[in-house]
Amino acid sequence: MKLLLVEDEQSLRKSILAYFSAEGNICEIACDYHAAMEKINLYSYDCILLDLSLPGGEGMEILRALKKMNKNDGVLIISARHSLDDKVDGLNLGADDYLVKPFHLSELQARVTAIVRRKSFDGNNNIVFNEISIDTQAMKVKVSATPLILTKKEFDLLVYFIANQRKVVTKNAIAEHLWGDEIDLSDDFDFIYTHIKNLRKKLVEAGCKDYIKSMYGVGYKFENL
Amino acid sequence: MKLASQYNRVNLFVSLIVLLLTGVIYYLVIHFILTEKLDKDLRIEEDEIRAYVSTYHKLPLPGDFQDQKVAYRPVKEDDTSGRKFSNCIYLNEKENKEEPGRSLLTYIVVNKQLFEVTVVKSRLEAEGLGKLIFLITLGIIAFLLLVLFLLNRFLLNSLWRPFYGMLDQMKAFNLADKNEINAEFSKIDEFTELNHAVLLMSQRVKQDYKELKSFTDNASHEMMTPLAVINSKLDTLIQTAGFSDQQGELIEDIYLAVGRLSRLSHSLLLLAKIENNLIKNEELIDLKELLSQKARQFQELLQSNEISISLNLEAKAVSMSKYLADILLNNLMSNAIRHNLKSGHIDVLLSADQLIFSNTSIATALEETRTFERFNKTSSSEGMGLGLAISREICNLYGFKLDYQYENEKHAFIISF
Repeated sequence: MKLLLVEDEQSLRKSILAYFSAEGNICEIACDYHAAMEKINLYSYDCILLDLSLPGGEGMEILRALKKMNKNDGVLIISARHSLDDKVDGLNLGADDYLVKPFHLSELQARVTAIVRRKSFDGNNNIVFNEISIDTQAMKVKVSATPLILTKKEFDLLVYFIANQRKVVTKNAIAEHLWGDEIDLSDDFDFIYTHIKNLRKKLVEAGCKDYIKSMYGVGYKFENL
Repeated sequence: MKLASQYNRVNLFVSLIVLLLTGVIYYLVIHFILTEKLDKDLRIEEDEIRAYVSTYHKLPLPGDFQDQKVAYRPVKEDDTSGRKFSNCIYLNEKENKEEPGRSLLTYIVVNKQLFEVTVVKSRLEAEGLGKLIFLITLGIIAFLLLVLFLLNRFLLNSLWRPFYGMLDQMKAFNLADKNEINAEFSKIDEFTELNHAVLLMSQRVKQDYKELKSFTDNASHEMMTPLAVINSKLDTLIQTAGFSDQQGELIEDIYLAVGRLSRLSHSLLLLAKIENNLIKNEELIDLKELLSQKARQFQELLQSNEISISLNLEAKAVSMSKYLADILLNNLMSNAIRHNLKSGHIDVLLSADQLIFSNTSIATALEETRTFERFNKTSSSEGMGLGLAISREICNLYGFKLDYQYENEKHAFIISF
């Protein structure tokens, strides 16, 4: 994937860059409004990660410029503004998704992957991971051509894991991804364990290798063995 | 007691005493003057008699005319008790009735014989005059008091009207409201000054409040970026291999703390937004549908705590923001779960005018007044103590009422539409 990260906070930029680059993605950066405008004028990206409050200008203006240029770049807004209006405005201006700071990098990865998948394959919504193939549109999973029945939560979990393969994802990142941040789950994430256990069991029974690895205390890792 | 009636009371009381005193003094003075005048008349009569006697060396005829009687009586020399004026009874023979009179007793020597002379004049006219004057005075007193009373009542009322107008506005003053206090025009300097002071004060308070709010808003906002940095650094950190169990636990604790901090910031921002009425997009929300959806959404949580839930839902739709409706129901539902017993129970009852969440709990009755306050929570609670404050703000925004009740060992939160 070729990504453009428009973010003025240096340390956040570094973390995101490191997270995405590790997967062999090309990730360019722009620290302010003008740098970002220059980049989008010159190049095309699979996905642009756009912060709304930038030195030199408003992130929304970049969105407008993109729309004017008729570009098909995917746009994910990452903003500290948890405002419904911003969200609606951003999505109306052609952004594909809206993520509120602070977020988990794994969540960012999952969203970016989803956007890029929707954009680049034009209707082809298949994810393939070794013997597992997932049709995200029809929400069907096959393991070596045999259909596998998963619940909605297990399905989401699998897609999330594959988007973040080879990465450690934390329990609360998973919980927030599956249940949304509105449910104030307090600090008890134990109940996600059941879902992970069930998914793991179903995958193994269908003939998969045991890709899900538990990282004690921290979370889980989905990894090609 | 109102200032006007207190003032009225003192005013009328003092006026009454002063007027009565003046009346009495007035009466006494008039009485004195009239008696003096009578006595003067009597003295003139006496002088006339003496003049007559010195001219004619005999007594004039005793007479009875013009309300005046003159009588003589020979007395021995040592029988005299001295000249004196006194009040007596005057017998009006014409009308044959007794009238109050004034008499002068004096002595005169005619041809070496001592005579006692009594001159009596009717006081009827003088008394009548006195009485008339007294009555007029009384009438004036009564009239004056009445005028004073009415004046105080109506004049004071209208004078104080701007004050009460201002008072009503101050009572209705609400920081969160947009509407300002309007100063009613008043010709009275004190009230103009009061209006001015109140106006200034309200503006200052509003300004301070606004600044405080924008401070909270900005502070919460500015917190997001460092939180995002911490979160992303943690996410990056855990990708590096080789954590011991102990390190894993430490990292998990940091995650939890960061998570709480960011939820806190979001909650504060949300509160500010609700208070400023910044959340629009009202639509008709099917509560029955939404509640069933929530029950499904929370299913895992309910199951992992072995909590049973019973829904008793009638069709009900309200007009509110979907976003806030979600938050409201999420808050009530998560509270009912979080503060529940292991294998406890939740009842959700929706009728046309009420929505009730009631749950079993280890905790006993909560303090009703403090339950909805910000950052008020029991020591065992894991939340931030903002959930109910937010819920109440949402209810207030749409004119619902959120109440708490403790009955049959169940905590109930009741929304009345």
